[in-house]
Amino acid sequence: MAKLDVTPCSALQGLAIPGRYGAANGGPGVLLSERADLAFAAVMVRKGAGEALTRRVRAVFGLDLPTTSRRAARGSLAFVWAGPGHWLAVTEGGDGSSFEKLLRHDLSNLASISDQSDGWAVVRIGGVRARDALAKGVPVDLNPRVFTAGDAAITTVGHIGVHLWQLDEAPTYEFAVLRSYTAAFWRWLIDSAAEFGAAVKGPS
Amino acid sequence: MSALQPFRLPSGGLIDRSRMLRFRFDGDEATGFAGDTLASALLAKGTRIVGRSFKYHRPRGILSAGSEEPNALVELRSDARREPNTKATTIELYEGLEARSQNRWPSLKFDVLAINSLLSPIFVAGFYYKTFMWPSSCWEKLYEPIIRRAAGLGRAAGASDPDRYEHAYAFCDVLVIGAGPAGLAAALVAACSGARVIICDEDFCFGGRLLAERRDMGGTPGHVWTRRVVDELTSLPDVRVMPRTTVFGVYDGGTYGALERVADHLPAPLPYQPRQRLWKIVAKRAVLATGAIERPIVFGGNDRPGIMLASAIRSYINRFAVVPGGRIAIFTNTDDGWHTAFDLAKVGIKVPAIIDSRPAVSPQLAAQASRATRILTGSQVVATKGRNALRAVTVRTPHGTKEIEVDSLGVSGGWDPAVHLCCHRGGRPVWNDAIAAFVPGSLSKGLMVAGAANGMLTLAACLFEGVRVGAEATQAAGFTAKSIDLPKAEDEASAATPLWHVTRSKGKVTRSKGKAFVDFQNDVTADDVALAEREGFRSVEHLKRYTTLGMATDQGKTANVNGLAIVAASTGRSVAETGTTIFRPPYTPVAIGALAGPHRGEGFRPARLTPSHAWAEEQNAVFVETGLWLRAQYFPRTGDRDWLEIVNREVRSVRSAVGFCDVSTLGKIDVQGPDAALFLDRLYINNWSTLAVGKARYGAMLREDGFVMDDGTTSRLSDDRFFMTTTTANAAKVFQHMEFCHQVLWPELDVQFVSVTDQWAQYSVAGPRARDVLAGIVDARFDISNEAFPYLAAAELAALGGIPARVFRISFSGELAYEIAVPARFGDALARTLMEVGARFGIAPYGTETLGVMRIEKGHVAGNEIDGRTTARDLGLAKLMSTRKDYIGRIMSNRSALLDPDRPTLTGFKPADKSARLRAGAHFVPVDGPASADNDQGVMTSVAFSPTLGHWIGLGLLTSGPERIGGRVRAVDPVRNNDVEVEICAPCFVDPQGERLRG
Repeated sequence: MAKLDVTPCSALQGLAIPGRYGAANGGPGVLLSERADLAFAAVMVRKGAGEALTRRVRAVFGLDLPTTSRRAARGSLAFVWAGPGHWLAVTEGGDGSSFEKLLRHDLSNLASISDQSDGWAVVRIGGVRARDALAKGVPVDLNPRVFTAGDAAITTVGHIGVHLWQLDEAPTYEFAVLRSYTAAFWRWLIDSAAEFGAAVKGPS
Repeated sequence: MSALQPFRLPSGGLIDRSRMLRFRFDGDEATGFAGDTLASALLAKGTRIVGRSFKYHRPRGILSAGSEEPNALVELRSDARREPNTKATTIELYEGLEARSQNRWPSLKFDVLAINSLLSPIFVAGFYYKTFMWPSSCWEKLYEPIIRRAAGLGRAAGASDPDRYEHAYAFCDVLVIGAGPAGLAAALVAACSGARVIICDEDFCFGGRLLAERRDMGGTPGHVWTRRVVDELTSLPDVRVMPRTTVFGVYDGGTYGALERVADHLPAPLPYQPRQRLWKIVAKRAVLATGAIERPIVFGGNDRPGIMLASAIRSYINRFAVVPGGRIAIFTNTDDGWHTAFDLAKVGIKVPAIIDSRPAVSPQLAAQASRATRILTGSQVVATKGRNALRAVTVRTPHGTKEIEVDSLGVSGGWDPAVHLCCHRGGRPVWNDAIAAFVPGSLSKGLMVAGAANGMLTLAACLFEGVRVGAEATQAAGFTAKSIDLPKAEDEASAATPLWHVTRSKGKVTRSKGKAFVDFQNDVTADDVALAEREGFRSVEHLKRYTTLGMATDQGKTANVNGLAIVAASTGRSVAETGTTIFRPPYTPVAIGALAGPHRGEGFRPARLTPSHAWAEEQNAVFVETGLWLRAQYFPRTGDRDWLEIVNREVRSVRSAVGFCDVSTLGKIDVQGPDAALFLDRLYINNWSTLAVGKARYGAMLREDGFVMDDGTTSRLSDDRFFMTTTTANAAKVFQHMEFCHQVLWPELDVQFVSVTDQWAQYSVAGPRARDVLAGIVDARFDISNEAFPYLAAAELAALGGIPARVFRISFSGELAYEIAVPARFGDALARTLMEVGARFGIAPYGTETLGVMRIEKGHVAGNEIDGRTTARDLGLAKLMSTRKDYIGRIMSNRSALLDPDRPTLTGFKPADKSARLRAGAHFVPVDGPASADNDQGVMTSVAFSPTLGHWIGLGLLTSGPERIGGRVRAVDPVRNNDVEVEICAPCFVDPQGERLRG
């Protein structure tokens, strides 16, 4: 059999084309880039295994599973709360299938694991006007008095479900959107950021 | 005064005389200054008539200087940006502004329909109800079109709006609505105390009445103090200052709707700027500081152009440096009205008379009036004269009737607090005798009122209350309120005695002549109100709807209280006893475009794209919306005559060689846990515990009421893991149902599930050569031979050179078929590879049309049949219904009506004349009976032209269908005038033994 040319296609390929968008005067108010290097897995606690899972995660990964809408990170691994007894595990690099296997091994019998690496598209959003651009669709208070690094939220943006978290006080956010909605989400994002000027970087 | 702006004062005002702006009204060129409204610029030019009224087409001028304006409604801008019913008093002047008067033909000064005014005896309250009752057949064709042409104000653009509208969210501790003295004071307290503050005002300048009055605040004019406060607010962190922003509605949970007119003051929005932005503001506390609206007095001829609210005259003089005329009398029942006379005198305008209905006023007040002004107390204006504008007023004094020549009249009937927003969540205003007006009653949680909106009608009281309420709101939002310095302001004279309606007295001479308008915008007169009352419409809610009082776009801001008072007087009750109607959102009209925001055109709702979308576009696919998804419907090639030819080719290609179709849109759910099989047993009508690992099975699930909810194929990947699929349409509904069942019905089950719809790109590869194609896709070490991988096998394996994949041997088409899933990022590559590998087997992509044709040929049910009204038995799925376990819908599916053997049941149909076309939606009737509802025996649910058989085929639900196979009925479609005799057959037209799919 001839060697097949199998090129993976990231969710924002053909959309997040590097360059300057919207208002061109002054520095870009909003910085956008795709996180194409993340692997995701849904971690869903087995019945009655909550405490044991928390202990296991602490022992194996050295972090505390959040029980509110927060993101707990250590090194390149993070757990983002996704509902009662439900987390989105995120890691940099690595493929989804191995990540699922790793978690299945480490959390055996305490949680069900499901690879979500291709289900979510992630956009990193930063810049001095990021909050102003996001206010045009995110019905969550992102003011630093209320929402800080480590906070997460599950909400909708113009009928599109999003799972978002804040990485630092710059501020930098990451928005996870179901892959099929990426084009619609991107369109909203670019439109909303246009008046502040947006700079799109290549994927990481 | 220049020739262009003869009514502009030589100095003063808060306008920028260095920036002259040109504009056109009804085609005439004119000029104004930056800081003008269209109304002030028109007044500066000397324009008296600005529009024609709604019903009687009477000439109307400018009544007010704010958003309460009922008369001066114009069409703003042109072409696609044309915006009808825009208030001249709130339009900020810009260079090149174009506006036109409305409701006039052929011209503003001469209007043909003004004859309605002569016919006014028939245009009374309830006119439509009385006149157009009979014959009812005339309503649609005759009455309604005529009424629609004659009534209504302005014309919609009739073209797509070229501008963008945005939605936005904001959050704060204290929201201040209105930036007059009370609002500014409240905002300052909250902001200085560290709260997050948003302060909005509908005006483009903050200050409220401070801009319109000559008031001293601790040694500086009010507008200077305003600017200082705004500067301070702007300098504080987390304070958002929002001019041109109307808070139009109060909603649950401390939510407020606001409309920001971002670019309405520009000829067109700047690049990337929306025209308007609709804000949803969530506030811990809100301070309502919306001020008060002056009330006109109801007297004969009170709508003549030149008659204006006295407070509006002060606005025009002091803020815009414009006087509305040269001889201006004042008709008042308040001390406040006198201030207009004083301000007019200060700019050198003659005030021939102050007509005060009160028998006496305080000597201090009277002493301030100019000697040239006659003071007529105990007097009333009873009539007005003038063709197109005011020329004289007739005044009834205690000493007889006088006529006074004037070109304008300032009217002051007292102030109505702007309580509107207090009503939006059900609060009812209460009557306050001290100020003879309604003030806010019970308030919704989190809302507080300050200043004139709460009946505090003096500047000193507004400032004091602003600070007090601002501090209260700040504390309630969790902050310690700090004290702030406020300038001193003296309490001005504000006494008033209400005069609701200058009535006709019994004497011959002293009558109020001419129509006395209560509601200017809807042309409701005092006589209409009285007539409605005589006809029994005593409840204010009935009166409102019968007379349309307060039902125009201004919601009766200047009309309601006068109307209520007139009803009260004629029924011998007090206003308090009469009650009040309430106000609903929006406070002022909101454009539909703003409500829609970005959700129009392509953005109406998000489109979900499959992993092969870009590839399908390259293949010239035509897409169809299925729910939110865009799916390839078919793939045209050069030379194709029509879609049927394309679909026939795609079907033949699958049935004779091989084809593939993106089925990624199917709902995919990863179900895991020790109780996963048990969970599925309870969800589906058939059994899952018995399914072996590595096997797929078709399943159907019912709703609680026993009707079929959804179907699909689910595979067992391991003991405790299933891969479930749902139909595209019901994916979300099924997932929600599963959550409900797990969280509420069976929390004891140890089962976990998550959607993986977006995780996997999935393709159906179907046709006699499907295995040959798949062999080139799946990594060579996996055996997919018929023996190793038979029909209904399922496996996790690798494809495309080491990429994790899942293969299911299932078939919707009836052919040898597989579904292969790979992680979505490889979906595009898989589509391209299928084309490449399949080329030598004659592969072709197919779309949803072909999918549909083949499933009808095979007799599989889909959304047309699973329409929420069919049972498993109706669909021929009775065999699946397990009798050895319980499942959702089992009990209810055994209701006697659902067991009736005569229920329409899934059956196949072929036309007796093979050239005849079948129609979905056709009803079945006996061959020799009439096509009547009594004879209805069911309905054709799905039809397709079968290229395999060479004629149309159909699936349908026919009474006792399976027992009637071989017989005939007629399929009648009265909508498309189709009546076809059809043969009843089994609902499977291709390979009924299933040899192909097992081959």
